Amino acid sequence: MNRRSNAGRTRRWWIAAGIAVVAACALSLAVGRFPVEWRSALDSDTMSGRVFLTLRLPRSLMALAAGFSLSVAGCAYQGVFRNPLAAPDVIGAASGASLGAAGAILFLGGGALATALCAFAGGMAAVVAALLLATLARRRGMVTLLLAGIVVNALFQSALMLLKAAADPERQLAAVEYWIMGSFADVTRGKLLGALPWMALGAAGVFLLRRQILLLGLEDDEARMLGVPVARMRALALAFATLAASAAVSVTGLISFVGLLPPHIARLLTRSGRASTMALAGLIGAALMLTADVLARSVAASEVPVSVVTSLIGAPLLFALLCLGRGGGRDA
Amino acid sequence: MKRRSLLAILLVVCLLATGVAVAEDGGFPVTVTDAAGREVTIEAAPERLVSGYYITTSALIALGLEDELVGIEAKANSRPVYALAAPELLELPNVGSAKEFDLEGCAALEPDLAVLPLRLKDAADTLSELGVKVLLVNPESLDLLKETVALLGAATGADASALLDFCAQKEAFLGELLAGEARPRVYLAGNSSFLSTAGRAMYQSAMIELGGGENVAAELGDSYWTEISYEQLLAWNPEVIVIASDAEYSREDLLADEQLQGVDAIESGRVYALPDGVEAWDSPVPGALLGSLWVASRLHGELYPSEQFAADARAFYSQFYGFEPDEALLTK
Repeated sequence: MNRRSNAGRTRRWWIAAGIAVVAACALSLAVGRFPVEWRSALDSDTMSGRVFLTLRLPRSLMALAAGFSLSVAGCAYQGVFRNPLAAPDVIGAASGASLGAAGAILFLGGGALATALCAFAGGMAAVVAALLLATLARRRGMVTLLLAGIVVNALFQSALMLLKAAADPERQLAAVEYWIMGSFADVTRGKLLGALPWMALGAAGVFLLRRQILLLGLEDDEARMLGVPVARMRALALAFATLAASAAVSVTGLISFVGLLPPHIARLLTRSGRASTMALAGLIGAALMLTADVLARSVAASEVPVSVVTSLIGAPLLFALLCLGRGGGRDA
Repeated sequence: MKRRSLLAILLVVCLLATGVAVAEDGGFPVTVTDAAGREVTIEAAPERLVSGYYITTSALIALGLEDELVGIEAKANSRPVYALAAPELLELPNVGSAKEFDLEGCAALEPDLAVLPLRLKDAADTLSELGVKVLLVNPESLDLLKETVALLGAATGADASALLDFCAQKEAFLGELLAGEARPRVYLAGNSSFLSTAGRAMYQSAMIELGGGENVAAELGDSYWTEISYEQLLAWNPEVIVIASDAEYSREDLLADEQLQGVDAIESGRVYALPDGVEAWDSPVPGALLGSLWVASRLHGELYPSEQFAADARAFYSQFYGFEPDEALLTK
């Protein structure tokens, strides 16, 4: 009986999240500086059509995909580290991506392609470095991996500070800081098509491993008894999650709170930490990201960095969740 | 007598130059090569212009194209010259800054030509995809400014020769006036702090050299304001200190600073703030030569008195910007 009502509630939330994504996406397609004429929106011979197909649609799809993959990656991170606050910065992915972007801005002229590639490479390199460091350590396990992540994070942060200090404050430093605040303002069709396959691959990998990730949430010994090769599975899950997050962030710049929050909301709503909750978290993340981006481009005369909005929405929401008392199923 | 014959020669040169420009005027469609080496073909004299950079906005006013402007860069109200010469520009929509450029907003203005700084190359590529003609410019020095003005003239069909002649004429005038004169050692105090200064790679250094001074910081190769120490400033012991435009401190702050007592410029009171009531003459704006002329009037007042500088500045702004600046705007 209880199980059935739980399933019913879950289904209702699925439908609600789906509707929220569709509504936010419609809003995102409709709001912008250019007055798109809908009759010619798909006609690339008109300015309306070109703006819609080159800027508006890719921007909306990018927000949707980035919100979805960051949230799914967040689920994987929180599961693997058994830590409700785990996010890609825990094992250095965010600092790695920032360092890559800063390097591209300082030494490669800061073109969009170079910055995206370097940010992506930086994020992945940080996670690979953390995983390698963890295998060198005498003690294996989750805590070692976490500590290796802290080491990598610290080293990358220090290199990032050095680059910031060397940067020309008016142009390069400003570009680095703006990158760290994230923005969908310059998303174009080309950038979307470049990042989408990697986000899809990463998210698909996390979904395939969803049951194993759930088991990684148990104590290592229990997980091992249930037939999970703990160390290898942990590395694989993190690699896929980082792939999804880095691909998104390489195009948009760092986005705060999306990735941390939706998994909590999903667990709170369904009162379960089951694997299917991951997809619900993805939908919530997509709706949140789309809404944040609509606000970022419409609240002021000029674009507001998107992390300003996500943090502004995310921080009170997180606090509200804490006040509601019963967090997600595995928050303990 | 000598001056009159010089004037006659100049007049002839002006007429010849104008004649050439007029002959080219009818030449639409015209193909120009911009600062990024892109070939841009303009079919007819553009009637809707967007300028994404304050230097090009100022140059377009000087070329008499303010009525064609339909959008300009963000923070236009920080440029007093707009309010003085073309206050209607302050009402125009802004297309953002080099940090956050508004692609859709720019496209929505449907410009015939958008003029953007070289660092917005990615935005320029996207706009070109949308079918917006973009001209990239890079006015970072006096020579590049002249190239930019000539390029804008060619691309818009406006006659740039008078403005270019002004530059050439004043440059030649200063060269002749100051040939063989002693060059006082000048320290340029930066706008955020008087312990930041401009090395040889910065435009400000060229302004001082052309005005008949020797930049004590010429040994520094940085392309941005460099922080220095009190000790360094005491070691340089400049005879004159020039305070950059838009400085956040005053001449009195410098004179009252106890650490600077003993510096020649402080002892003799030869500390001058560059007037910034009209434009920042220490950046390569079309009136940049006024910066060098002002330096000359301060360093070599016996050859080029302040009154003559004020007359030259008034003549420049009434010829190219259609207003006569008050005395108060030309002193500080």
